[in-house]
Amino acid sequence: MSGTYSHQDIEDLLGAFALDAVDDDERDIVEAHLAGCPRCRAEVERHRETAALLAQGGERAPEGVWDRIAEALDEAPPALDLAPVARRTIGLRVAAATMAVAAAAALFLGVALGHHDSHRLDNIDKLAQAIQEANVNSAAFAALSDPAAEQVKLASADGKSSARVVRLPDGTGYLVPGTLAPLPAGRVYQLWAVRSDAKISLGVLGASPGVSAFRMSGPVSAYAVTDEAAGGVATTSNQPVVVGFTKA
Amino acid sequence: MPTDDIRDASDAILVVAIGRYRQEALAEAYRRHAGAVFALSRRLLADRTLAEEVVQEVFLRLWNRPERFDPDRGSLRSFLLAQAHGRSVDLLRSEVSRRRREQRDARDRAEAEYDIEHAVVDLAVADEVRGAMAVLPPGERAAIELAYFGGHTYREVATLLDEPEGTVKSRIRSGLRRLRTVIVEAGIA
Repeated sequence: MSGTYSHQDIEDLLGAFALDAVDDDERDIVEAHLAGCPRCRAEVERHRETAALLAQGGERAPEGVWDRIAEALDEAPPALDLAPVARRTIGLRVAAATMAVAAAAALFLGVALGHHDSHRLDNIDKLAQAIQEANVNSAAFAALSDPAAEQVKLASADGKSSARVVRLPDGTGYLVPGTLAPLPAGRVYQLWAVRSDAKISLGVLGASPGVSAFRMSGPVSAYAVTDEAAGGVATTSNQPVVVGFTKA
Repeated sequence: MPTDDIRDASDAILVVAIGRYRQEALAEAYRRHAGAVFALSRRLLADRTLAEEVVQEVFLRLWNRPERFDPDRGSLRSFLLAQAHGRSVDLLRSEVSRRRREQRDARDRAEAEYDIEHAVVDLAVADEVRGAMAVLPPGERAAIELAYFGGHTYREVATLLDEPEGTVKSRIRSGLRRLRTVIVEAGIA
């Protein structure tokens, strides 16, 4: 059936689709299309954001409903997928009975439920990491515009590779990679602070580094990034890939 | 995460904490968004009890499947509202279809027509929404109101407004785009 729908036909439906205003068969056709079309998916998300703004009323959360939700949570063993229960609008007493059955079943289905739970946790970890990266990025860009911060440009001898280090007076610092070519498997970049004769490791950056945070107080004469075996090293005698000297 | 920090946390961080079974994070998400979820569901369903069930369902689903929220694809509020809207419309349509079957059986056509008329007239929307919607040409505004707040399909809207289906379909889309330009990009919201 979707064969009779051109891309234009699907696009024409996106507004109505985003408002749940299409028939079931058209909804199926649009959903199938969205799975493979990021542009249309983005349009639907935009329509939903707009609709969400229209929906905003100053209404307070309904009294009593939170207590029922909290009660349902207390009854639920954490690893269980309660979605099938939640999807139906059934009384809580029935829900509780269903959960008891599910809990008993979980004793026998531990593997399957555990698998589901690990899928959940994997995705949550990815989300947490994305937030952390976004936070590090914005903190680093804020530091770059702070006149009190120490800023050092790191470069390779041939000038092809580069990075920047920015460090705030409180010792919080960030490495912002410019051009650092991705390393082969088994190799990682590592960041160092050079102080008189000592090289102090500021962290292992991975094979294709993003913005990374570090802490280092006291004077530093140079920053360097080296190419090391995966896992990093305690001390290094490798030549730096990029290096930059502070004004101090 | 200490409880004190929960109040300052972004929605995305709340979802991470919910994913790690932190009840107080779900409570905070509820505090922030349940009012809007409830208001939308009640407007669609015109029934407080059913709307409360939708709220409960939406937040339990967030507890059970937080990984379905993708911050790259939109805000937590629009994610929750889209779920509430979809669920409310499901309930509404199953209720409408049940009622229609009963009415057909009873051969009571007059009442069915009254209901549809009543539904159109009774779609009063809140003042602030009216303000935003006022930027739209009347045809686009009526199509969006009937679809989003009335829970009608675009085909039903076409019947209600006595317009071609294709016209209604494209008015919903162009109206949403126009609203976005006005509300979001002009920074009114």
